[in-house]
Amino acid sequence: MFDRAVNAIGWLVVVFILSPLIIIIGASFTETTYVAFPPQGFTLRWYQQLMGRQDFLESFVFSIVLGFLCTLAAMILGSLAAIGLHRHRFFARAFFRSFLLSPLVLPTIVTGVALLQFYYLIDLEAPLLGLLIGHVLITVPYVVRTVGAGLVGLDPAVEEAANSLGAGTLRTMLRVTLPAIAPSMLSAAIFVFITSFDQATVSIFLSQSVVMPLPIRIYSYIEFAVDPMIAAVSTLLIFIAFGLIALLQKVLGLDRAFGAEIR
Amino acid sequence: MSSAPLCAPALAPSALMLGHRRRRRLALVGYLAPVTLFYIGFLILPYLSLLELSFFRYSSAKLYIPQFTIDNYVAVLTDPFYWLLMLRTIGLGLLVTAITLLMGYPLALMIVRSPPRRKTLLIGIALSPLLINLVVRTYAWLVLLGDTGVINSWLKAMGLISLPLPINGNWVSVTIGLVHITLPLMVLSLVAVLENIDRRLAEAAVSLGATDTRVMRRIILPLSLPGIGSGSLLVFCFTISAFVTPALLGGNRVSTVSTMIYQKFTFSANWPVGATLVFILLAMNVAVIALHSRMFREEHDHV
Repeated sequence: MFDRAVNAIGWLVVVFILSPLIIIIGASFTETTYVAFPPQGFTLRWYQQLMGRQDFLESFVFSIVLGFLCTLAAMILGSLAAIGLHRHRFFARAFFRSFLLSPLVLPTIVTGVALLQFYYLIDLEAPLLGLLIGHVLITVPYVVRTVGAGLVGLDPAVEEAANSLGAGTLRTMLRVTLPAIAPSMLSAAIFVFITSFDQATVSIFLSQSVVMPLPIRIYSYIEFAVDPMIAAVSTLLIFIAFGLIALLQKVLGLDRAFGAEIR
Repeated sequence: MSSAPLCAPALAPSALMLGHRRRRRLALVGYLAPVTLFYIGFLILPYLSLLELSFFRYSSAKLYIPQFTIDNYVAVLTDPFYWLLMLRTIGLGLLVTAITLLMGYPLALMIVRSPPRRKTLLIGIALSPLLINLVVRTYAWLVLLGDTGVINSWLKAMGLISLPLPINGNWVSVTIGLVHITLPLMVLSLVAVLENIDRRLAEAAVSLGATDTRVMRRIILPLSLPGIGSGSLLVFCFTISAFVTPALLGGNRVSTVSTMIYQKFTFSANWPVGATLVFILLAMNVAVIALHSRMFREEHDHV
């Protein structure tokens, strides 16, 4: 009786979680000019209209470029830091680690505002660089944590063995350390890319009308109109996200991958 | 069994050790210097200058005048308007936390009790919103709750209402949207704790004649308190700092501390007061985190 009640509520919550996504996907195929669910008829014209929107295409490309640059920078900074923290015992190491993770607990709106007024102060007039810095700042902690977790599973004796058998530092790194932590690095990279690609709160403060990442483009569009074209672009984003989830699941297993993001 | 002690005495020990230590220290600097410089340049300096900004004088012509004053804090903390804003933000945080707890707990229980394959599927579903663009998720609720949105047109078609329900552009839509967005955080925290509760405790209680609800109340619920605590902390902090969802679903009629910060830094362009609100928001976050760690440290002491 009790179990059945729990399950009934549980399934209702599952419906609550999924319903907005299902409705968006359905509504993107409607023939009506307003968002209707269930969709009336079936048409791809909202996707066609989307493909004709130069501004959305530019934003899409811009978001991908930004995401790649951010992944590259965050992976380099974060992986080096994770390896350094793993290999060396030094004064205030625990404190330093929490310092590196601190952007996770700082509200993203605050980071956005802090950078906005700082760029004004130092006269930084490079929109791409400005956004990139913001994105790297909020994604480095994921890398430090995920790659750090991967390193914990690596027995230091293996590295020492390679070293004592004559492999130099670089060789040990390339042939022993990196292959061992490759899965956690890949999952960190995917997470960083998704986070950057989806980032809206920091971007809103640092975007200008010339360079607008896709989420900000959508944001500024739906402030004025809610039409099926946005359902179409949202559907594409949902499928990209699910594709990446599937990739993550293959690489690492779903619960571990998600655990890496939240804990 | 490391080989170092075997060969070290054979080579001149002190000189080699010294060189080794210096090399190690250099390596450490190499690993940590890039990220440290980046954090100093783009985390510490911006936050410090933001703090400084909150003590500057407002100027309509030049954004701010670099002249020390505590007027901004006095102005914000003595104005009932801002107190109401803070109280509403905290109220929203409590409401969203309570709802996600009530919805998340049964789902987490169901996940923990599921067979492995279904468990993976349910965890995937519960967490999938995290990987979907915040703006897209918020847009979905606009579509559902709008005046001409899905819910209102269904209700109208069924003849239940003639005027659209007021569920958009107000606290109702903001609350629903935030619950949807924060639910995964709560579910994950709860699952993590519920998974670790020893099944034999519940089995023993049942075999001694306890009913399901009694097992729940006396065993599962008390043992899952840490999960409830950490989930609530995550959800509450996320909610009071959320910006995109209140801004889009609130339709200019709902203001929280975050949306006010955005306004102060954009339209009304009162940066010093905006910066002051930022530090009030941070103080609210810190207070909640401190409260949480106090509550749960005492918990540990008693056990």
